Amino acid sequence: MLKGVTRLVSRVHKLDPGHFLRLGTQAPQSLAAHLDNQVSFESPRAISCTSENDPAKHEEKHEGQHYNLPLQDMKTIFPHGLPPRYAMQMKTFNEACLMVRKPALELLHYLKNTNFAHPAVRYVLYGEKGTGKTLSLCHIIHFCAKQDWLILHIPDAHLWVKDCRDLLQSSYNKQRFDQPLEASVWLKNFKTTNERFLNQIKIQEKYVWNKRESIEKGSSLGEVVEQGITRVRNATDAVGIVLKELKRQSSLGIFHLLVAVDGVNALWGRTTLKREDKSPIAAEELALIHNLRKMVKNDWNGGAIVMTLSQTGSLFKPRKAYLPQELLGKEGFDALDPFIPILVGNYNPKEFESCIQYYLENSWLQHEKAHTEEGKKELLFLSNGNPGQLERLCAYL
Amino acid sequence: MAAASLPAWRRLQPGARTLRAFSTAASPTTLPGNPRPSTTERTSRFDRPPRRKALPPRTEKMAVDQDWPSVYPVAAPFKPSAVPLPVRMGYPVKMGVPMAKEGNLELLKIPNFLHLTPVAIKKHCEALKDFCTEWPAALDSDEKCEKHFPIEIDTADYVSAGPSIRNPKARVVTLRVKLSSLNLDDHAKKKLIKLVGERYCKTTDVLTIKTDRCPLKRQNYDYAMYLLTVLYHESWKTEDWEKNKTEADMEEYIWTNSSSEKNILETLLQIKAAEKNLEVTKEELLGTKEIEDYKKCVVSLKNEGDSENTLSQYKDSVKRLLNLT
Repeated sequence: MLKGVTRLVSRVHKLDPGHFLRLGTQAPQSLAAHLDNQVSFESPRAISCTSENDPAKHEEKHEGQHYNLPLQDMKTIFPHGLPPRYAMQMKTFNEACLMVRKPALELLHYLKNTNFAHPAVRYVLYGEKGTGKTLSLCHIIHFCAKQDWLILHIPDAHLWVKDCRDLLQSSYNKQRFDQPLEASVWLKNFKTTNERFLNQIKIQEKYVWNKRESIEKGSSLGEVVEQGITRVRNATDAVGIVLKELKRQSSLGIFHLLVAVDGVNALWGRTTLKREDKSPIAAEELALIHNLRKMVKNDWNGGAIVMTLSQTGSLFKPRKAYLPQELLGKEGFDALDPFIPILVGNYNPKEFESCIQYYLENSWLQHEKAHTEEGKKELLFLSNGNPGQLERLCAYL
Repeated sequence: MAAASLPAWRRLQPGARTLRAFSTAASPTTLPGNPRPSTTERTSRFDRPPRRKALPPRTEKMAVDQDWPSVYPVAAPFKPSAVPLPVRMGYPVKMGVPMAKEGNLELLKIPNFLHLTPVAIKKHCEALKDFCTEWPAALDSDEKCEKHFPIEIDTADYVSAGPSIRNPKARVVTLRVKLSSLNLDDHAKKKLIKLVGERYCKTTDVLTIKTDRCPLKRQNYDYAMYLLTVLYHESWKTEDWEKNKTEADMEEYIWTNSSSEKNILETLLQIKAAEKNLEVTKEELLGTKEIEDYKKCVVSLKNEGDSENTLSQYKDSVKRLLNLT
């Protein structure tokens, strides 16, 4: 195996494209790790990477450079938040590097200067498909996690309005519907992220699950979450309680709350879910959506609300739609008004260069022409600077 | 006619000189693909009268400054021998060119306006001048015409040779008027636009009423004028049920009493409460410059839709309102 690896290494250094592609999936990971060590000795990654790993200290001079997120943190902060292709890239390269870009820097600046006595400000990241909204959101979440905020991360609100197998009629409110599976999955991930807060926060009201079970005032939030995870039937109500309590208590100033919702336009759109008599369900009839809508209203203070609009995964919206009013609709815009819209655009030349360098350094681009000027120009033209498109193109090279 | 196509063949071949020769002296047997024995050489069984040679096309005798309307005085099909233009039409075969005009069915199928050249039209106008009166000298600009004659009536008369002089298309009457020349206030204008629906064009501000439901033109004209009068008077009246106009009926976004106003006022009141500044009232808040700015941005965003410009203005105004740097 080792001989094979060394032979492959020497082959790769000669930039032989065909052989690399014929390898199985097992080899690249170890190969990448091996090459990583080699490459970091040979060429300093000053162009594409920065050593400043704390998001709080990121500034404009770091713009365009990648910074490393420790893999251990990734498991706790992002149990469910990363886009699938990025997760694959993370697994392949065995490291998580995120590019520092202007929209994220702008948001960081606002967040650093937040006044926690004022009502929570809403920020909406919007932009065309594949420009990096979700990853910018992940950057912000990393920053807030490092600053010890409580992260309320809903990775994709679209998942809650489509393809739900079991809808139960809510026990709390007869007109609404519960989604036990989605709620319990989310609760598990929420627990992983915010382990340390769960025991500190105490609920301030008594909640009765049913005739036999109830939860007393003063018990910790962790118990509510446990109840939701174990008793899947009550998971949606548990989520509702968690959201309500967090909203109430963040105003008290014990912790800072970051509400991060990806695909927030799902909250005011149509759903594909139907009742037994095939009549469609509106979004507000789902208990999860109803509670989440209350969460993104700015009648609480002590934190911030960061949201992204996403056409990918949205229902009944045309593919080219990316502007706030198109995706949110009238209802959504009125509900979110006033908010700060932040545009996330394609790569500018510096960022593009940095991205290509990063791929080259990780030996992701195996084509001979990949590091030439013409090759880069061709990639720029083909992808038009769109990060998602560039990533897909480079996957073939 | 085969001989008529001979010169055409020669013109096609590069470097071939056009010959006036259609005489049999230029032996047709020398041309490729056109082997026809001349009749004088062949001994036929019975004496056939010699076939008349095809005359050259009329185009060769046409001078450049000829009188074209006399060639095509009326609408006539396309005659390749009478039109001196080297027109080609048709889908070319591989490595070929579109077909020439001789014997080209495509050119025959399509309508042609060779009888309506500017020269011909000038002649028509000259002929019609005897039946016209002079244009009034005072109306020398479009604005004056509009000011004095805001309503424009379009009618069409049809003349054709046939058994009857009547034509059912002649009864259509189109009435066009600009709404800016009518005396309408804001409510009346909105109501009128809602009443007429499709007949109003927003970009040109023109209301078009087309009538043809009566059998005579005069009756249709009277009906169109009646419709205009009724629309005008009805739009000035306000009915009881117009009070129930909802937000969905509104043509444009109005900021006062909208949810956006409520949201922003709530937010600002909470901010002030947090800063222990409870003396501020709603009216004061509404009067500040930032709110005015915000209101303009929201109205433009809703009415004009999203664009980079409107969104960035909105962003700036929200930042100023919430005191973010």
